[in-house]
Amino acid sequence: MSTLEVTFVSADRTVWSGQAAQVVVPAADGSMGILPRMQPTLAILDRGAVRIIGEDGEATERDVEGGFVSMDGDVVTIAVDHAARASAN
Amino acid sequence: MGAQQREYKKRITSAQGMKKIFKAKEMVAASRIAKAHARVLATTPYADAITRAIGAVATHSGDVDHAFLDQERSETGRAGIVLITADRGMTGSYSHNAIRTAEELANRLIDEGKKPVLYVVGRKGETYYTFRNRPPVQSWAPYSESEIPALGHDIAQRLTDDLQSEDPEIHLDEAYLVGTRFVSRFQQVARATRLVPLEVVDAAEGEGSPQYPLYEFAPDAESVMDELLPRYLESRIVNLLLQSMASEHAATQRAMKTATDNAEQQIRKFTRLANSARQAEITQEISEIVGGADALSGSGRTER
Repeated sequence: MSTLEVTFVSADRTVWSGQAAQVVVPAADGSMGILPRMQPTLAILDRGAVRIIGEDGEATERDVEGGFVSMDGDVVTIAVDHAARASAN
Repeated sequence: MGAQQREYKKRITSAQGMKKIFKAKEMVAASRIAKAHARVLATTPYADAITRAIGAVATHSGDVDHAFLDQERSETGRAGIVLITADRGMTGSYSHNAIRTAEELANRLIDEGKKPVLYVVGRKGETYYTFRNRPPVQSWAPYSESEIPALGHDIAQRLTDDLQSEDPEIHLDEAYLVGTRFVSRFQQVARATRLVPLEVVDAAEGEGSPQYPLYEFAPDAESVMDELLPRYLESRIVNLLLQSMASEHAATQRAMKTATDNAEQQIRKFTRLANSARQAEITQEISEIVGGADALSGSGRTER
């Protein structure tokens, strides 16, 4: 089982990077889940939450606003304008 | 103490006072360089990601048309120049170099029959142009170091609006960015780069250029491009703003180092002069005493 190599950057810093099993991003035309071996995709993000589920099942969540995600050969790059720690709920 | 000596002492004290100030400014600047440089580096992953994404869109969808990619933009002949300068003085030649680079660019544009339009960041550039009766279209001054990302966003917004404006009084055909690149602590270069029309295509031609995968675009290539290009502009502007800030600190540090050395030299010079003035005074006093004694000894007795 392959894993995703995730780099999550905002305009001024790297928010998160490492291996993940699954990534969910708020794409412009609806929420998009990314699993290993997905086809190369470049998508625009809308306002919403980015959820990264690590290999150990631990989830990291950030509220983002605008940006894009690129997925290619199990390398996922999420670049956003703003990333804030998801409000606890 | 003689008047001359007092004068020298006064100068020494004032030079010592200034030296303290210069030294303090030098140290403050030195400590800020590293922080500013770290902020430049922190934006690099984002800039890389966006550059790669744009390259991918541009190479894999030849039919994508965007106003910023059109190499032949000539509606009004207006070319925008974003000039980044310092807010404060005491930065050595930092602001002057940036302004000179912008002026060279403006002259070149005029030779090509275009009309340069200025957008200025920093008080130094603003006063330069207002003093010469060529006020910039918009100036952002003073600005604060902590608000650079927001400032970059503002500039990018304004530039994007003007580039797409329908009004011939506002519309820009091209956009240039003039700022100071931070190469190292000891080397900073003022350079002008063209932002629009974009030159992303040439990157894909050269050997060793990255191979972009065949992406699926969501929602579609066109809207991806629409979203990416303003972000790309913004990231380029923010990056150069941060580099300029680091350069400004480096330039300040260098200028203040020179000023400190100068003050030291001044202090040494005046100490020398004060010493020789004191010595001259002593010599004079001695010769006066000796002369007086000689005169006294000579007056009392006419013969031995």
